Amino acid sequence: MQSWRRKSLWLALSASWLLVLLRVFPLLRLAVPTRPWAGAPQGWPRWLDAELLPHFSQPGELPKDDLQPPRGPRGGSCDWGSCFDVSKCRGGRLKVFVQPVAGPISDAHRGILASIESSRYHSVSPDEACLLLGLEAPAGECSPVPPQWNGGRNHLVLSLHPAFCPQTFQLGQAMVAKAGPTVDTFRPGFDVALPLLPEAHPLRGGAPGQLGQHSPHPGVPLLALAEERGGWRTAGADSSACPWDGRCEQDRGPEQTHPGATLPNATFCLIPGHGPDALHFLQALQAGCIPVLLSPRWELPFSEVIDWTKAAIVADERLLFQVLTALQEMPPTRVLALRQQTQFLWDAYFSSVEKVIHTTLEIIQDRIFGASAHPSLLWNSPPGALLALPTFSTSPLDFPFYHLQRGSRPTGRFSALIWVGDPGQPPLNLIQAVAGSQHCAQILVLWSSEKPPPLRWPKTAVPLTVLAGQRKASDRFLPHTAISTDAILSLDAHSSLTTSEVDFAFVVWQSFPERMVGFLTWSHFWDEARGGWGYTAERANEFSMVLTSAAFYHRYYHTLLTHSLPEALRTLADEAPTCADILMNFLVAAVTKLPPIKTPGGPESQPPAQDCINQMAAEFGSMPLVSSRLRLDPVLFKDPVSVLRKKYRSLEKP
Amino acid sequence: MASVAWSSTRWHSCSGTMEWEEEAACVIMCASVKYNIRGPALIPRMKTKHRIYYVTLFSIVLLGLIATGMFQFWPHSIESSSDWNVEKRSVRDVPVVRLPADSPIPERGDLSCRMHTCFDVYRCGFNPKNKIKVYIYSLKKYVDDSGVPVSNTISREYNELLTAISDSDYYTDDINRACLFVPSIDVLNQNTLRIKETAQALAQLSRWDRGTNHLLFNMLPGGPPDYNTALDVPRDRALLAGGGFSTWTYRQGYDVSIPVYSPLSAEVDLPEKGPGPRRYFLLSSQMAVHPEYREDLEALQAKHGESVLVLDKCTNLSEGVLSVHKRCREHQVFDYPQVLQEAIFCVVLRGARLGQAVLSDVLRAGCVPVVIADSYILPFSEVLDWKRASVVVPEEKMSDVYGILQSIPQRQIEEMQRQARWFWEAYFQSIKAIALATLQIISDRIYPYAALSYEEWNDPPTVKWSSVSNPLFLPLIPPQSQGFTAIVLTYDRVESLFRVITEVSKVPSLSKLLVVWNNQNKNPPEDSLWPKIRVPLKVVRTAENKLSNRFFPYDEIETEAVLAIDDDIIMLTSDELQFGYEVWREFPDRLVGYPGRLHLWDHEMNKWKYESEWTNEVSMVLTGAAFYHKYFNYLYTYKMPGDIKNWVDAHMNCEDIAMNFLVANVTGKAVIKVTPRKKFKCPECTAIDGLSLDQTHMVERSECINKFASVFGTMPLKVVEHRADPVLYKDDFPEKLKSFPNIGSL
Repeated sequence: MQSWRRKSLWLALSASWLLVLLRVFPLLRLAVPTRPWAGAPQGWPRWLDAELLPHFSQPGELPKDDLQPPRGPRGGSCDWGSCFDVSKCRGGRLKVFVQPVAGPISDAHRGILASIESSRYHSVSPDEACLLLGLEAPAGECSPVPPQWNGGRNHLVLSLHPAFCPQTFQLGQAMVAKAGPTVDTFRPGFDVALPLLPEAHPLRGGAPGQLGQHSPHPGVPLLALAEERGGWRTAGADSSACPWDGRCEQDRGPEQTHPGATLPNATFCLIPGHGPDALHFLQALQAGCIPVLLSPRWELPFSEVIDWTKAAIVADERLLFQVLTALQEMPPTRVLALRQQTQFLWDAYFSSVEKVIHTTLEIIQDRIFGASAHPSLLWNSPPGALLALPTFSTSPLDFPFYHLQRGSRPTGRFSALIWVGDPGQPPLNLIQAVAGSQHCAQILVLWSSEKPPPLRWPKTAVPLTVLAGQRKASDRFLPHTAISTDAILSLDAHSSLTTSEVDFAFVVWQSFPERMVGFLTWSHFWDEARGGWGYTAERANEFSMVLTSAAFYHRYYHTLLTHSLPEALRTLADEAPTCADILMNFLVAAVTKLPPIKTPGGPESQPPAQDCINQMAAEFGSMPLVSSRLRLDPVLFKDPVSVLRKKYRSLEKP
Repeated sequence: MASVAWSSTRWHSCSGTMEWEEEAACVIMCASVKYNIRGPALIPRMKTKHRIYYVTLFSIVLLGLIATGMFQFWPHSIESSSDWNVEKRSVRDVPVVRLPADSPIPERGDLSCRMHTCFDVYRCGFNPKNKIKVYIYSLKKYVDDSGVPVSNTISREYNELLTAISDSDYYTDDINRACLFVPSIDVLNQNTLRIKETAQALAQLSRWDRGTNHLLFNMLPGGPPDYNTALDVPRDRALLAGGGFSTWTYRQGYDVSIPVYSPLSAEVDLPEKGPGPRRYFLLSSQMAVHPEYREDLEALQAKHGESVLVLDKCTNLSEGVLSVHKRCREHQVFDYPQVLQEAIFCVVLRGARLGQAVLSDVLRAGCVPVVIADSYILPFSEVLDWKRASVVVPEEKMSDVYGILQSIPQRQIEEMQRQARWFWEAYFQSIKAIALATLQIISDRIYPYAALSYEEWNDPPTVKWSSVSNPLFLPLIPPQSQGFTAIVLTYDRVESLFRVITEVSKVPSLSKLLVVWNNQNKNPPEDSLWPKIRVPLKVVRTAENKLSNRFFPYDEIETEAVLAIDDDIIMLTSDELQFGYEVWREFPDRLVGYPGRLHLWDHEMNKWKYESEWTNEVSMVLTGAAFYHKYFNYLYTYKMPGDIKNWVDAHMNCEDIAMNFLVANVTGKAVIKVTPRKKFKCPECTAIDGLSLDQTHMVERSECINKFASVFGTMPLKVVEHRADPVLYKDDFPEKLKSFPNIGSL
């Protein structure tokens, strides 16, 4: 043992000496220049008189520009600054007037008109509108010069389908939103590039993305090639050296041809650049197949705001072999990210005609109100810019969606919003229970009964404010300015909760701020017999809605519900309180694509009184609700351990 | 010696499964088993053989060092130092080229040029680094027929720029391998050159070929009286990196918009000043402002008083004071650029030229530029998100500028100030930064699949470090039909392994079972001996007995969901496992596991501590039984930071803590613990001095946490107070109607 110790000491000493030497050597190297080695690159010379060279401009010269009045555009071309009159746009929101069309219009056209009319952009008068929208007829019909044309100033000519008729009037200063423009004719920052939509593209809702899983399945081929006839041809990874039709006719062994307009099932979708191949582009996007455009000639849809480098690859077909090698060697991390982004973009901006139009208008609104435009993050991460209203905030952390993405959680406390309808009984017990929570910041009573509110309210530890409601069910979802916290605990006068239940549910909400966290659940189901959706309050093994008579959610959903949903849906909600519940659940599920969360507690839920789920599903264009099979309990919930160890011990009561 | 031997004997006992034994039914006889799942560790043997080995090794190293030293100081290397690497000559000695008056002139710039029409990508053939190769023509002095020079041979800035390119990875001295050519003809400032003759000089470059793949740098374009916004020198198809493009001259996706370099950057030492409140709200520091605009600015100053400061040239400066470094308001003198640090917003107004060097000074001062220059293409706008660092105001709205700025929330202003300073540091600071950013942009166009991302261009380093980017960000619930792959790590506990296989195979959603056989000394049992189960069963033999084998991304894993399970976990019911899989489907980007653990800050010892008691919180789940996405196997194997992987393999412990760190760090999310805690002791384990083993085990696990936290540079684990149970768990409801009745039993 002795000798071992001595040896190790000796070893340690010599090792440290080595370290010292190694440290010193680089310094020595600096002191003595290395010898040139044969064939070293002869770089740009180090001039002996480099310090004596003149500056490219003299110190005084830079600010001494000649004074020159600003110049306007030349040659009739347009950019945003010279051809759009921003002064007509007031009030922080884009107002759009749709030019009336003479003569008969198609159903698709009528649908688009209706969609704009029910949207938040619509304006009835051309005088107060800041943007005049001209819809190009889908086929054949060539429109004459519209009224109030004014040289096309502040006009947007929207052409969803490629027009085959010659332009009958000069576009002048009008912006053009059309499908598949080439970079040569496209005016960046002025025109808007649209996707080329298939004839049967749904007006609203739209098919969901086809991606079933995050990472590519091991058996799926690497490449699919868009064919001129409209289908896709897949090729395995080994034959990828020539997936190019015409160049490797002899090797068609492992490849199969998919007829028709089926969606490709591959990791990458090669789209040649012969013509505007946007149909293939959208198909690939929907299928979650990463589009590889082999020509940089086309301006990609909504390229002004969408960061396509996150979802597609625009390469040059002249370097095809390099591209293929790069695709094969692409690290899994990148493939994973690209795949998911295709699905997000498809769902957020492309899956329906309505989304395409709203995205176009939103882009123009962002240009007009530059300072309060969507930051790039809001455009390029779920749920997308159409659902993150810049009128609410432009700072991502004010929204519920970006906390989890950034690994943070909302701080602060919650506001309890108690809705009191008829018969107007002040919910005194409930107020005491909620005010007892350490996380409660304020209590707001929304008095919506015929009876006047009582003058005296119980003394509570937190401020209590009474708001006057307008006796409508959707009242409770208005963005009341009195709500000062991110979290809202929405309550009914007849709800009964304990302080412990509230405390725990709030802590859970902080971990899932984009979802609704509630106590009472409903579940929806497809009713074969009636051929429609149904829902039930019966206790079951899964659920898809939580009742807003006792639920936590982010205050942003009030803004979103009030400002982004069509008028028709809000009227529907006013008809019955249950409809309002369903509406809120639909909205949150449509935005997050996730189920709500149930925590323990709360009384039995009321059976729903009125059936409006089918109307809602029709208005939304699809059924957004998602089911969950789990409940979040405290870690030691009903565990065989002393109650004294448990933080939420009063939840244990049966 | 003793301690080393101890750690190996340690693993012969059943302490390896300690985590489970305290709460799980230890059905197989721990004591009767020779090795546990983790197998034997290496026992170092320090014998005489090794002494000789060490002495030899040491002498070789010593000899090597001496030899290197001799070589370094050998006289000849000093003699030849005059011609190392690059030659040193004077600019005056460069060869003179006489341009005949009738030599060809290139076409004017082609406004329709795009990368796919005017750029020859074939020159940029396969390149493993995905970086373009740039060639620089050698410096010449051009004179006309009568011997009058065409321009200044080269300016200091252009020399700096070419030096930067030459020193970078982009440079090549082989003209035949180059993808991009940079002429040494200096066109940074149009006013210092003769247009026609410069064009002639360009046209006679050896690879000019209508300017294809040639890149010109110009910062001050145009000249009196009409000041074009792009270089007036005819240049045919050459790319232009220009300062001061307008939308009319900028060829989107072809040209590169660059900043106008401010010489003050190098001259003045300006310490960084963080964001926050400043004395002036709005400042205008430019000297030559169009009178109309100056009136507008003066009006703003009159209206808003102290918060707006409009400066002008100084007229009454004493001799010897550099007027460039002073600005005045009436008789008050301010130091420039220091005064910029006193303002939150700084006006950058167009002059005759759109690009203004003041933009660079303003960004440097952390002042948010208010750009008032219609149709100006901001520098590097192809990649930089100027919305995050500046406010662009149309010229006609100049009188409203104060109101527009007032509407920006304070938090956003501070963000913009930080962003402005970051843009300056990364892309404006020096000629080198400008040159390299330009080349990067062009390179990214040619190799788009290797391009820098938006975040890499725009996020300041502090944001890059602190932000998480969840690799599974899409909200997606995978279909139930996919099922999961169970991976059982085993050493040689065959009996227990078979029981686990039989139990797990009862789970409806199991689609494949993978046994990782970690024992190199013993073959797995014959095929006929394995239990017959309804799903495919594969045995993978490993080359080395390492714990990380459990997390290897085996090709056999076809499903996204992976269940990692130890070969002694037989107490989980089929309902519990199936429910765990259902929970994973709702949280596919998280670790979903059964036993939960917690990390705590030990205030006495000032370090992290591992906790396995009955706590109200969890921050980790053990991977002895946990569901997770198979992508995390790839991350664990190939992207684990630092030496964590080796550390785990060397210590034969903590692979689960490492996985918890990895997933939490990359997703920023907490784990999900499912189902209640099971309380069962392993009687055999407590028999062998359970208490002390328990304690050393805890100490070792705590060490792991501290080690990993230091490697990650932060504590990524998130603490939560919830666990997942079936909706009707312990509810007053008929058991037979529940989907998962058999939960928490035993």
